[in-house]
Amino acid sequence: MKWFPGFGFQRRNRELKEEIDAHLQMAIADRVARGEAEETARQAAAREFGNILLVQDVTRQMWGGGWFEPLGRDVRYALRQLRKSPGFTITATAMLAVAICANSTVFSWIDGTMLRPIPGARDTDDLVSLQRGERNFSPTPPFSYLDYRDLREQNHTFAGILAYHHDWITLTGGALPERAYIANVSANYFDVLGIKPVLGRFFLSEEETRPAIPNVVLSYSLWKTRYAADPAIVGKSIEIARHPVTVIGVAPEGVVGAMPGIREDLWVTLDPLGTDVWRMTHRSGGAVWLNVIGRLRPGVSRGQAAQDLDTVMHNIVAAFPDDHLGDNRITLDPMWRSPFGANGYMAATLPILLAFAAVVLLLTSANLATLTLVRFVSRRRELAIRQSLGANRIQLVRQMVLEGVVLSIVAGAVALVLTSWTSKTFAWFFPANSNPLILNGSMDHKVVIGIAVSSLLAGMLCGALPAWRSAHAPAIEVLKAESASISGGSRNRKLLSGLVVAQIALSLPLLVCSGLFLRTLRNLAGANPGFEQDHILTASVGLNIAGYSHDEEQVIRHKILDRVSALPGVKVASLTDWIPMTLGHKGDDAYPEGYVPHPHESLQVYHAEVAPRYFESLHIPILEGREFTPDDDEKAPRVLIVDQTAARRYWPGQDPLGKKLRIWGGLFTVVGVARNSTHIFVNESPEPIVYMSFFQVGYETIVQVKTEGNPVDLAPAVENAIHEIDTRLPVFDVRPMRESTQMASSFAVVQSALAGMFALIGLVLAVTGIYGVVAYRTQMRTHEIGVRMALGASRVDVLRLVLLQGLWLTGMGMALGLAFALGLTRFIARLLYGIGANDPVTVVSVVMLLGAMSLLACYFPAHRAMRRNPVSAIREL
Amino acid sequence: MSEKDQYKNRIELLQGTLDMLILQTLQWGPQHGYGIVQALRLRSGDVLQVETGSLYPALHRLERQGWVQSEWKQSESKQKARYYRITAKGKKQLASDLDRWEQIVEAIGSVMYVKPEESAS
Repeated sequence: MKWFPGFGFQRRNRELKEEIDAHLQMAIADRVARGEAEETARQAAAREFGNILLVQDVTRQMWGGGWFEPLGRDVRYALRQLRKSPGFTITATAMLAVAICANSTVFSWIDGTMLRPIPGARDTDDLVSLQRGERNFSPTPPFSYLDYRDLREQNHTFAGILAYHHDWITLTGGALPERAYIANVSANYFDVLGIKPVLGRFFLSEEETRPAIPNVVLSYSLWKTRYAADPAIVGKSIEIARHPVTVIGVAPEGVVGAMPGIREDLWVTLDPLGTDVWRMTHRSGGAVWLNVIGRLRPGVSRGQAAQDLDTVMHNIVAAFPDDHLGDNRITLDPMWRSPFGANGYMAATLPILLAFAAVVLLLTSANLATLTLVRFVSRRRELAIRQSLGANRIQLVRQMVLEGVVLSIVAGAVALVLTSWTSKTFAWFFPANSNPLILNGSMDHKVVIGIAVSSLLAGMLCGALPAWRSAHAPAIEVLKAESASISGGSRNRKLLSGLVVAQIALSLPLLVCSGLFLRTLRNLAGANPGFEQDHILTASVGLNIAGYSHDEEQVIRHKILDRVSALPGVKVASLTDWIPMTLGHKGDDAYPEGYVPHPHESLQVYHAEVAPRYFESLHIPILEGREFTPDDDEKAPRVLIVDQTAARRYWPGQDPLGKKLRIWGGLFTVVGVARNSTHIFVNESPEPIVYMSFFQVGYETIVQVKTEGNPVDLAPAVENAIHEIDTRLPVFDVRPMRESTQMASSFAVVQSALAGMFALIGLVLAVTGIYGVVAYRTQMRTHEIGVRMALGASRVDVLRLVLLQGLWLTGMGMALGLAFALGLTRFIARLLYGIGANDPVTVVSVVMLLGAMSLLACYFPAHRAMRRNPVSAIREL
Repeated sequence: MSEKDQYKNRIELLQGTLDMLILQTLQWGPQHGYGIVQALRLRSGDVLQVETGSLYPALHRLERQGWVQSEWKQSESKQKARYYRITAKGKKQLASDLDRWEQIVEAIGSVMYVKPEESAS
């Protein structure tokens, strides 16, 4: 085997041997010539020369390349040792690979989402997302154009601030209409992000407010798929919602917009058609529609920037108090945990899972360390011989650590291959939904470095500790009294016990957390959201994005309702513009008539626009008043139905019926009170919601059908019915309500799936760990047990002896683990539902499970020891 | 301290002088390791006994530093051996080693043979 042929190590080594041999031959020849006998001469020459191996070794050190050649030698030696025990090598590599892969998978997900919040953007660390008022998950866009413009122009701490708003739109003009996600953006959008076009140009600052410049920038993927990567696309006219627009540029590959986890397909200015003048010139109500992201100037901290913006905002509020009721304080978030888009959820989930994975790695290292230690103890004779041949302890430790490192490098390579696949599994956790989600892990240099670091650390951990301990043993003792130093001395025994205790102590919190997560998941699934999820089918109709006039839309909506209601198998049909538990919501400020809010008092409510029979189809009871009727249309006075929470908030202790709420500057009269139901998450704290009449203020159109049988079976019929009205009507996201609402528990699924897997690994490791150590120590004590039995100990005594030893370790580990778990569960309390962080049932069942498994693990070696024939046991040394 | 560490110390102790002695020996012609040991012993009247554990590391180090070159040749007694030959660079080194050696000897000598009146003052 030649490892470093280029360095001529083998050749030089051979020459050195020959040189020394020649020296000896000449010395012998001289002595023989002087009359000594051949044999005496040989012995005398050898004595005179000294320790040949040592001379070789010291001489080799003069060759330079100082560490490289000895290292090569050690690596070869380590490989030889590992090859000698393939069972250990394969088990250890597989265990390490799984543990490293657990870490790198979660890290690749973090890398693909939190660490790469805006793909293609420059220096995303300097970007912050701006939030006005309360900080919560999936907030509504917080700024009006005029407020945004003032913030942008009057601040002193930002290099640039961009604004955008995105929604679905229909691309017409081609063979088939196609739905795409379009963003209205400020002209500096790409500038602030630091993105350059691959074709054409991006927007100019003078294009921002000048209306009727219908220019569009295409995303790379849209340009490729829909426009066949036409190199001459710039300057051409395409059709969006039946309006001609001019392509001015194409964004680079991979650029998907500024909201983490959401894919934008094309970009236009804020008011490209000049039809949105109202939105561009007002500061409240429907004119609050922009998400805002800023790039901090170099050297400016987030705190300073927030203060600066607060000052500007304060002036805006002072100048336009009526437009700025509610909380106007500005908070800034780095993009990795920006509440807009997916990262808010990611930041709450993934770091905890990474911590779990790290515990698994630690656990695996402890397990491997016990295996390694046992192996080294059984190799102590070999080590002692090497030591007495002149190897010093550093060399021995280096060699043994190297065995660990070689293992972990192989395991790291395996993990790398595995991760390149598992990193892409993140998308599996998210059910089909109405958002253009592009969540997935990424596999870049950061992940590779992560794998390298964790595998090396693990290798050192499971190699160094046992190696140092084993190399400590005095060579003479070991050689002299092999059997007397049972299990390699008390030091090793303590280390082994410590490692077992550590494994149990680490696996217990994993089991407790996964138990809590699993029960949370069950509670979520079993919870009553307050509305019917089964037998409901929903279908989105892209009316507002297909370019119909408002009157046309109203006519089509009525037709849809009539046709779908008449379908066989349909019990109730209704319209809505919102589906609960799909992570989205709309919010606006609402004030009771005559109420003067305190400064910074936020009176935001969720709102949904629903048609007649909406509550009937979802089985949400109307507790007081009435449901909407077809008469609640644009000609009728504006009406509202509030839920119980909203009623209590605005009119505590009063009858809400007939009361009025001011929303968007208009007054809405309450005609009914609906029972509370779930809006976003099952475990949310109840937020007030007001329902408005769909035919008065509805915007998006979602058909909601209560079916007799399986809702999926009715999907084609519903689609056909809509297309019979107009074949060009885009219909999408046709799916059962059950499927849509899965989105609300997808993060709980991620948590419990991963935590469950990690806990299972932990359990297996802990149990095999304690089994291995108890079995090993019992084997080492075979002689002693034989003596005990010969002196009259019964089999039960032997069984008790071994079991107690194992249970003592388990008990210590569980005590430590419980303390660890109780400290740890506080961090996941937020993620639980229907169960306390220290739920006694979970803790007790985990303790019992772990205890039972350990008992079983100890029983086998104990049983074996008990069955031994004392006579043969005594003989065994 | 292991056996090996002791060897190392001895090398360090002798380093300057051993190098010089080897280079000086090679001044008289190419020689192999065994020959160098014998030559030093003969010339020093059996006083200097060079350990092989010092000699070979020193030879290999000198070669790496470019002060000696080696080649395999047959000895007079038909034994194939590695012969070391001093290089031009080695000769320069020998001169400077010798210089330093003489300085040290002189310095030590002036300490050891101090005149009595100076020591009294």
